[in-house]
Amino acid sequence: MKSTSKSSSQEHNLAQTGDTRVSAKISRETISTLSVAILCLVLLFSARLINPALGSWSQIETVLVLGFFLVVLSFGQGLVILTGGLDLSLPATITLGGILATNWIGAGNPDEWYLLPAVLAVCGLVGLASAIGVIWLRVPPFIMTMATSIIVASALLGYTRGTPRGTAPDMAVALMKGDILGVPAPIVVLIIFVIVGWLFQSRSVYGRYLYAIGTNIEAARNAAVPVTAMRILPYVLSAICAGFVGIALVGYSSGATLRMGDDYLLPSIASVVIGGSLILGGRGTFLGSVGGALLLTILGTIIATLGLEFGFRTIIEGSIILIALLLLREELFQKLRSLKS
Amino acid sequence: MRKKIIKSTAAVLALSAIAAGIPGLASAQDGKKFKVFLSLSYSGNAWQSEAANIVKALAQTAPYDEMVELREVISGTDPQAQISAYESMIDEGADAIISFPISSTALNRTIKRGCDEGVLFFMYDATVTESCAYNVSYLSSGFGENSAQALVNALEGNGKIFLSRGVPGNSVDQRHTDGALHIFNQYPGIEVVAEYYSYWDDRTTQQETAKALTANPDVDGIWAQAGEYGAIQALLDAGDRLVPMTGENSAGFRLALADPDMQAKGLTGVSAGSPPAQSGYAFKLAMEILTGQRELEPMNIEYPLPWVPADAVKVCEGDVYEDGCNVFPPEMVPSSFVSEVLNTDLLPEVNVESALNGTPVPGATIQPLPAEVTEAANLPGINCGSCEAPENLYELTKVEATVQP
Repeated sequence: MKSTSKSSSQEHNLAQTGDTRVSAKISRETISTLSVAILCLVLLFSARLINPALGSWSQIETVLVLGFFLVVLSFGQGLVILTGGLDLSLPATITLGGILATNWIGAGNPDEWYLLPAVLAVCGLVGLASAIGVIWLRVPPFIMTMATSIIVASALLGYTRGTPRGTAPDMAVALMKGDILGVPAPIVVLIIFVIVGWLFQSRSVYGRYLYAIGTNIEAARNAAVPVTAMRILPYVLSAICAGFVGIALVGYSSGATLRMGDDYLLPSIASVVIGGSLILGGRGTFLGSVGGALLLTILGTIIATLGLEFGFRTIIEGSIILIALLLLREELFQKLRSLKS
Repeated sequence: MRKKIIKSTAAVLALSAIAAGIPGLASAQDGKKFKVFLSLSYSGNAWQSEAANIVKALAQTAPYDEMVELREVISGTDPQAQISAYESMIDEGADAIISFPISSTALNRTIKRGCDEGVLFFMYDATVTESCAYNVSYLSSGFGENSAQALVNALEGNGKIFLSRGVPGNSVDQRHTDGALHIFNQYPGIEVVAEYYSYWDDRTTQQETAKALTANPDVDGIWAQAGEYGAIQALLDAGDRLVPMTGENSAGFRLALADPDMQAKGLTGVSAGSPPAQSGYAFKLAMEILTGQRELEPMNIEYPLPWVPADAVKVCEGDVYEDGCNVFPPEMVPSSFVSEVLNTDLLPEVNVESALNGTPVPGATIQPLPAEVTEAANLPGINCGSCEAPENLYELTKVEATVQP
């Protein structure tokens, strides 16, 4: 009796929220994505006031190349967060991708390109290990991914004996330094990646499954969503993205180091949250995360040119991120909407 | 000259015995080995690993392999962890602790306790202000001012420059930058248009330099601390133009300085800065004191500043620095490899494999160090507590001003 009433009330709730959700969610997420994009553009062009060299095509090019890494990472991190998890193993997995690419392939071996997918597969296994811990061993994602991170980082320290050797594979260098029809290759790849990522998350059935799991896992199970497989997928994809970033970083700076991934963990989470995702899962778009990642990168390039003391620079950076988050809060949009209606 | 040469007594006397590999000195005689600990900060960047590897290789080289039991402890970046590491080493009866200290002041009390129990403390690269410890460091050798003057000379006293610094709030970064600004500020034609922290890391340097270049694409020169190879890559990413720059000792930077293509694009400069070989020098000094071949009171010892201008870079063919060569080719070492890890005079026993893997050179024996050690200048808060810096603190030692302000 008790259980039936509970489930019926749950169904009732679902029906109720489900009803408003379709209209509310789409507009809310579109608005927050647009706001981030507008904020990016405003920052980019107001930067001209600070320094006339800013806001030029070459600055946009720098932003897109530097933002490449963060955008790719925020796709994986965004998927994990969407299903209610968190991936702290990004730094170690980035380093894994970079070190395997330099050690297994290296420069001057273009015929060994097939090893690149192998590197990504190894990184995917790291994600699988995290997923197994989270799903079957029921370790909280925060702890599980931290553990994988420590294990992978320590294994790499042992494997390289502290000094990663090897050089960047030609493919990786071409990816970051090459040109495609006169446009820098990383920008072309970035655009393709964003389109594919957006199609996957917002237009494919798999993306829908992930939203369903993040919103209510029991409801998703009842709706015949392959819950287990779809909870594993984000961790594996996130690890593969991290491995890809590792390879790209090696191409960008011609070598691997053991700390190459360290600077990306918090920005990857921040990009996702600034992009309008709910840190507890169930809501958010990849395009929003892309905007968040680019916003952080633009902010970094502008603040670097202010010529202020380092302390002030980081205070300004933190303040702008905070203001952006407050402005993008959903309550604000709800208020705006209610004003309109 | 601010350097004072100190002669340590009786240093050379018994060394020939060691050099010949005859066991039987001091406590090695009764089968008991010296307990020497290697206490590191963070293992995971090329510099720290090379410094540790050199000590490990020396400890396995005859006759030290029969005389010393070396144990390694890594304490991350937390001074508290290093304090407890020191405490347990002292309690285990350490004879000597060779260490990269995480803080110049936080470890003092523990070090003092260890000294009172007869432990020798040898700090390398970074230093402590506790006066019972030996500091072996290049910090007093004037990296900042000498490299800055070299850059000013290359720019003929005029130009926009970037400062690529180390870690914010770090006393080493501050000392280097103070020295550099002491020079730059004398030249009104030199304008620092961007100053950023690169955390002594190639990749961070590359990204921060790329950001600075968006606002100042017409930069004329770069003064960089470690991570300098990243600045070259950022310049190449932004266009086909390089500028005069100074940096530390990465193989990537040195090879670029010697590369005619890079020179044609405008690269020139000097490679100087922090040598991982300091750890090996500190270890050998400690061993000579332990085995009774050297008498030396605790003091600040200066490791000479490595100084390799572009025209002096020479690529090695073998696995050691011989015939004046000073950088290994890219097929032997990664671009982040810190070249100043070997030293023909102080550490002839080890080679590039020792630096990379911690392995001894087969058949090598420990050679005695030069009898003389150079006393370092006082650096308040860095290598001494209540002391005063000498008046000629920023005196140039490696380069002369070829342009006047």
